[in-house]
Amino acid sequence: MPRFMHLARVTTMVLLIISTTTARADIVIVINEASAVRQISHSEAVNIFMGRYRRLPNDSVALPIDQAPLKARFYRALVQKDMAEINSYWARLVFSGRASPPQQTDTLKDLVDIVTHNNNALGYVDAAHMPPHMRVLLTLSESP
Amino acid sequence: MTNILRLFRSRLALRAAASIVAIVGVLGIAFLLSAVHLRAESEKKIQQTRLEGLISTVERTAQIACFLEDHQLADEVTQGLLSNRIVREARLIRGDGSALADHVNANEHSSGTPITRAINSPFEPGRQVCRLMLVPDQDWIDSMVNNATRFLSVALVLQLSGIGLSVILVVFYFVTRPISDISQKLHALEAETGQKLPPPGGHHKDEIGTLVHSVNAMIDRLVSSLSEERRQRLAREIEERRYRTLFDNVEAGIFELDDQGQLLSANPAFCRLFLEGRALDLDAPLIAFTTLASEGGPTLQELTTRRARRDGTREWEMAVGEGDRRRWVNVMVSRLEEGRLQGVAHDITERRRAAEAAEKLAVTDPLTGLGNRLGFERRLGVIDRYQRLHPEYQHALMMLDFDHFKQVNDVYGHHAGDEVLKQIAGMLRAISRQHDYPARLGGDEFVLLLDHRTPRDDLAGMAQRLIDSINQPLILSSGQQVRLGVSIGIAVLGSDTREVQALVQLADQAMYRAKREGRNTWRFHDRNITFDI
Repeated sequence: MPRFMHLARVTTMVLLIISTTTARADIVIVINEASAVRQISHSEAVNIFMGRYRRLPNDSVALPIDQAPLKARFYRALVQKDMAEINSYWARLVFSGRASPPQQTDTLKDLVDIVTHNNNALGYVDAAHMPPHMRVLLTLSESP
Repeated sequence: MTNILRLFRSRLALRAAASIVAIVGVLGIAFLLSAVHLRAESEKKIQQTRLEGLISTVERTAQIACFLEDHQLADEVTQGLLSNRIVREARLIRGDGSALADHVNANEHSSGTPITRAINSPFEPGRQVCRLMLVPDQDWIDSMVNNATRFLSVALVLQLSGIGLSVILVVFYFVTRPISDISQKLHALEAETGQKLPPPGGHHKDEIGTLVHSVNAMIDRLVSSLSEERRQRLAREIEERRYRTLFDNVEAGIFELDDQGQLLSANPAFCRLFLEGRALDLDAPLIAFTTLASEGGPTLQELTTRRARRDGTREWEMAVGEGDRRRWVNVMVSRLEEGRLQGVAHDITERRRAAEAAEKLAVTDPLTGLGNRLGFERRLGVIDRYQRLHPEYQHALMMLDFDHFKQVNDVYGHHAGDEVLKQIAGMLRAISRQHDYPARLGGDEFVLLLDHRTPRDDLAGMAQRLIDSINQPLILSSGQQVRLGVSIGIAVLGSDTREVQALVQLADQAMYRAKREGRNTWRFHDRNITFDI
């Protein structure tokens, strides 16, 4: 009997780990279905989100949107940096005004609102909770 | 300059110091050069590292500036770099070659070799966004290198001179000072008094101490050998004085001759013997030894020929002086060394006289003083030799036999007989000439051996005169008178015979013939009458 209990506990833990991994599997950069842009490269995603160019491949202006709950995971997946580094990066650029950080949203709902209403807006969501009417431009795997 | 050179040669400390300074100097320069070279290299590396470090410091900001092409940020970076004096120019270059930011220090310094670093995107590690080029300020680097090497040089020079000075002091203190100390003490040392050289303080056990001990041992040996030599010299002087005394006082004459037979030295005894007491004058012309002899002695050739000189001691008898002062000297000469002869001379006059007297005694008849039988035979021997040398010499022999002499003895006694014999001897002596030889052979048997220059007629006259004088009455000491007759036989050597023994027999026979034919007469040997001999 105790032996069965032990097995059950191990199994539960394994399942838990698997489910967590699965839950944080991928982050996808999304755009309104109506946009003409089909996909972007990783490099284009870095340029857009890190403020180098605010321009999409079809030369329309790009409007990157941050989503607070996923922000840390996103930048980790995109440029392998933690939030402190990202904040420090933007802090350096405050005075020059040459570039500015993406617009910030607090929830997925807000993000979905902006993306739904603006064809140039780019956001990122958890691949497991993909909202409707969105097109995936780039999938960022969160492999360690 | 020469003074300095002389000082240099005479001062060990100075020479050692100069050598050390030279060696230290050469080594020092070599060390210094290599050290400066190494130091310069390392300083250059340090400056290089510093530049690299500067680049690393600003790299993140530069990455961002390049990534965003943010001029303001890029200016910030480059100006920040220029605040380091080592940087003369800082430039951020885009991928297309245009400058994002470029700042140059406004001085006249020269530029060094630029360093370029690729600046990657801050977010995509493999993606180059621009290049950062730094041009170092060569003058500044040089001055840094110079500062470093100057410090090093000063330190090295100080160290080397310190070492050199220490070595000089050590050499002076441990080597030159003890040596000069020893030298001074050695000068002042009175070795004869047994004084010893003390080793310098603190050097008892080391090499200098050993040197001092060796010197002391050597002094000991020298002093002992010196005193030994002195002792020997003293002994030799005593010996020499002893010999000198002997030489001066000995009765024997001692002399030296050169290889020409000339006198080189002579002792007083020699001078007394040969020079009538005059000392040998060494400044006068040398006296040849052979001229000193009046009879006998060596000839110059005997003295000086090589063979003669090589032989051992040789001996001569020689006479010196004439007349009453004639002395006989025995001389022994031996070789002293090459070209030098030594001689000893003894006065043998007395001995010779004694020998002569003994000789004379041996051949003399004690009763009459005439020759005896031995003397007669010796004289015969001499005549025999004359005869062989000169066959023309004619020696005559008279043999005397007294008639009835036995009766004198019987009648008057032996004493009277002796007296008669003495008187007859006187007659014989009276008739004899200088070279005639009268002898009594024994009893009443007399002979007279005559000079070879006597003619036959003279012989007859002499015989007759002898008979006449003998026929005179002889007066004895007792007053008695004695009459004697004599028969004389004469034989002549050379004409009658050539043998002396035969001469005696022939004279004897002639004497008997005289007796037979009437006594008291004389007869020549008659060659017509032959006898069996």
